[in-house]
Amino acid sequence: MTGIDTKIKRGSGELAILALLNREPLHGYEISKRIAAMTNGVLQFNLASLYPLLYRMEKRGWVKGKWEEAQSGRQRRYYYLTPAGKKQLAPLRKEWGLFFQALHRIAGVADAG
Amino acid sequence: MPDDQGLIRERLGKLGLGPRREDEIVRELGEHLEDHASALEARGVAKDTALREALDSVPNWPELRNEIVSAETEEATLNYRTKALWLPVLCALTMSNGLLALMQIFGAPAHFYSLSVGNSVHALCGFIIPWLISQPVVGAVAAYWSRRAGGSVRHQLLAALAPSIALLGLFVLILPWAMIVEKPSAPLIRLAAFLILTVTWVLLPAIPLLLGAAPFLRKPQAQS
Repeated sequence: MTGIDTKIKRGSGELAILALLNREPLHGYEISKRIAAMTNGVLQFNLASLYPLLYRMEKRGWVKGKWEEAQSGRQRRYYYLTPAGKKQLAPLRKEWGLFFQALHRIAGVADAG
Repeated sequence: MPDDQGLIRERLGKLGLGPRREDEIVRELGEHLEDHASALEARGVAKDTALREALDSVPNWPELRNEIVSAETEEATLNYRTKALWLPVLCALTMSNGLLALMQIFGAPAHFYSLSVGNSVHALCGFIIPWLISQPVVGAVAAYWSRRAGGSVRHQLLAALAPSIALLGLFVLILPWAMIVEKPSAPLIRLAAFLILTVTWVLLPAIPLLLGAAPFLRKPQAQS
């Protein structure tokens, strides 16, 4: 998703990560893989863009990282959604919903013109 | 994978976040790098090329370093200081001044003593003994709160002594005003009064505050 402003990417990334972790705890690489797969590659997070975001979210108390053994037998840091993160999910969903509705309305007006 | 972690450590450099957290971050990024390289290998990319491509997925390592440090410290500083220092300080100030106000409202007896400094300077100083007796509790609560929030011994001390420090700050502000701006006719008397006020309302309460805090003053335990 090159070309999209970092702030937009960060904001959408927060929502994507919270929504994913609301289903199940995941480690960083799995988060980036799922986001890319579920958005058909439109939204992509690599090592450089994902971890600062995860650490920031962890500092805010939205997610909590815990070292656990993965199926592969390796220790991975799994991220869990915290109650604070759960609370954050609904308003973020609403905010982004409104944002896309607004964009859609503008695009509609532009098309009609 | 130690090699991956070494490569990451080399590129990131020192983060200044403490060895424990730095090791954790390097380890986590190393695991990610290893997964990325493995995925490329699974698609037929040679091992060395896969690792290089995975490393190249980070276009700017110094920028990543700054992003991580910013994410780790900006809010941490605010939260940590608020939790370990400012909230216990606020608690100590509220408790100490609240107790003083209550004692004055309910007429706790004040003891006054006349002090003489030299031949010409006499001053009256007053103590509210029950308030002084209550101060160890204030010091204890503030130090305990700060320690529970992960505050250093310095934070614990500052929190416990906050009522005395606040009054000292007030006197330090008032003294130059009283001496320079008001130009008193007897500056020595004014100065002596301030010194006595400092002793009775700053140094004297600091002793019970410290006594109360003493059992709780110790380094916070490392977080698990």
